[in-house]
Amino acid sequence: MLDMILSQAVNGLVLGFLYVLIAIGLSIIFGMLGIVNFAHGAFFAVGAYLAYALSREFGWWAALAAPLLTGIIGVIVEMTLIRHLYGKEPLLGLILTFALALLAEAVLRLVFGGAPVPFAAPKFLAGFVEYGPVLITKYRMFVLVTTALVLVAFWAFLAYTPYGRIIRAGSRDPEMVGLLGINLPIVFSGVFGMGCLLAGLGGLLAAPLWTITPSMAAGAIMPAFVIVTIGGLGSFLGAVVAGLLVGITTAMTIQFQPEWSGAAMYILMAAILLIRPRGLFGERWERFE
Amino acid sequence: MTDRKTTSAMTGLRIGRRGLLLGATSLAASRLGMPYIGNAAAAEPIKIGMIWAKTGSIVDQAEYLAQGGMLALEQRNNTLLGRPAEIVWLDEPNPQGAQQSAERLVGEQKVVGMVGGALSSFALAISSVAKKAKIPYVAANAATGDLTGKSCNKYTFRLQPPVDVHARILAPYCASIGKKWYLLTASYAFGQDIKRAFTDYITANGGTVVGADEVPVGTPDYSSFILKIRAAKPDVVIGGIAASDLTTFLKQWNELGMKGKIPFAEISVGNTDLWGVGPEAADGLYTITWWYKNPNNSPEEQAMAAAYEKKYNRPAADKAWMGWLGMKSLLDSIEMAKSTEPGAIVQALEGWKYRRGDLDIGYRDFDHQMTSRLLVAGIHPKITDKWDYFDVKAELPKTPEDLAKAFGSAGDSACKMDTL
Repeated sequence: MLDMILSQAVNGLVLGFLYVLIAIGLSIIFGMLGIVNFAHGAFFAVGAYLAYALSREFGWWAALAAPLLTGIIGVIVEMTLIRHLYGKEPLLGLILTFALALLAEAVLRLVFGGAPVPFAAPKFLAGFVEYGPVLITKYRMFVLVTTALVLVAFWAFLAYTPYGRIIRAGSRDPEMVGLLGINLPIVFSGVFGMGCLLAGLGGLLAAPLWTITPSMAAGAIMPAFVIVTIGGLGSFLGAVVAGLLVGITTAMTIQFQPEWSGAAMYILMAAILLIRPRGLFGERWERFE
Repeated sequence: MTDRKTTSAMTGLRIGRRGLLLGATSLAASRLGMPYIGNAAAAEPIKIGMIWAKTGSIVDQAEYLAQGGMLALEQRNNTLLGRPAEIVWLDEPNPQGAQQSAERLVGEQKVVGMVGGALSSFALAISSVAKKAKIPYVAANAATGDLTGKSCNKYTFRLQPPVDVHARILAPYCASIGKKWYLLTASYAFGQDIKRAFTDYITANGGTVVGADEVPVGTPDYSSFILKIRAAKPDVVIGGIAASDLTTFLKQWNELGMKGKIPFAEISVGNTDLWGVGPEAADGLYTITWWYKNPNNSPEEQAMAAAYEKKYNRPAADKAWMGWLGMKSLLDSIEMAKSTEPGAIVQALEGWKYRRGDLDIGYRDFDHQMTSRLLVAGIHPKITDKWDYFDVKAELPKTPEDLAKAFGSAGDSACKMDTL
């Protein structure tokens, strides 16, 4: 039994990393722009479909461009729609992004049809390795390493670069940053695009594992919201810790009470919010309270 | 008296004259108006309700079911009983949503019949509305036994063979591979029926169930379930998960190196589930209801498949056929009844017959279950055509007697059929 628990824990960590990647974009968009991006799952689906379409036309390596293209789509969406909502009633952002999510699903269905489309991992990532009771596929190791690298790079960007400092300052006091002569609208477009790029990367990495259908966004958006809530709204570190917690909790529930596995993350969220209403690493931000 | 009679007669004459004038005017007006009223009635379309998912985990199959249904009406030039006819298609995001859609179709759209229910739970919800509103309903895809068993009703008809019938056909194949089974089934009616049917079979035949997990609908990651299966070392894995859930499972089954290691079997699988898996990961032993390349398909089915491929530029999936035949049976019955009156349509549906190969298939009167053959299929060892995954092994049951036995008799049925 101990073997099985260890095996499930490691597997849950890998799943958690994938969830973190999806959730982190949602977290930074909310934390920095104050927008509850209900369309985040749609960008995840767009990333998966772009990966499928590019690989079909130009080979597997072309699929790597999918996250970048998703980010560009995100920038366009921000410049045309989202930026009109800054500083306004949060409900407006929720309604707009919800509508965007529905629109994206309809467009994907129109272009690619409702049936799932096949997409496999490259041959060199096929197979798995075993360390005692622990089994990890090469592809999941690739997902784990890629996600960890992206998260570290993103954290370093926010923490140590001048652009990162501007973004962090802009998220706390946009007026003051604007008075310093910094073009905040461009910074915000970049942040939204970056969040969408991460969602697109999540879509690309999940595409060989999950079923690519226009409605696949639902499988990503709910864990993402739960993770952001558990970790604390807008907290980078919170999203990472919460993602891993959700992954491990889900895997352990499957081991002992499989029929509860779908509800496990919600129960975890409820338990944590009862103890810490702002989430594990949530801060009090006057801007949002 | 005479005066009174005279007066009366005079009055009567006067009234009669006025009445005559009024009557003549009314008659003239009504005669003038009649063609207009008559044409308006003729122009008013007959509405058929269709409830297939536009969102959710079953939406990929539902698209084909809906296209098949619409094709059935198009093949009649969108006409029924000499009047224009149209399909009103509403969503079924969940069982409650399916029920609300059925209520809207009946209450607001005044449909004369309904087809739909992509998942068993949706079909049961729609069936309860059909019973209450007394509107004929054809469940073309749902497989739960309850629909034509303990929850049967006079207005509900079901095209898909129930889980028990699929199980009777597939279970012996699985038992011939090995008698240690692991069950991975969805946590709703369809999956629970599969769990019960296969458990009953293997325990009655000297085998064991070494593990059984109920999986929530929309599970995105099956790796933890697969690790449990791997540790249990079963001879066969019996699946009971539907649509995109099955596709996800098979992709991850292959990813974790399980393809070809432990045989996987599942009943009532759709072409779309395998098309979405891709050739690298496709694996398993299945029962399917129809296959576009089956040489035993009737001329009408071949015509439907050709029309579908021409219109949608891809082969007709089994779900397209189910949507088509379910709708066709309802439309045929409206024509047979020469009426849109629900009772007449129900009676016509009970008498409706369709020739497939050497069999007349139709809905049984005692439980409204359609009796038809199933295909047992594996996966081609090497897939070269992106649409052709199935390697059909048999079409069963072979004889009409075996067919009746597989579906069970009225005495075996849990259905207590009500009256119109």
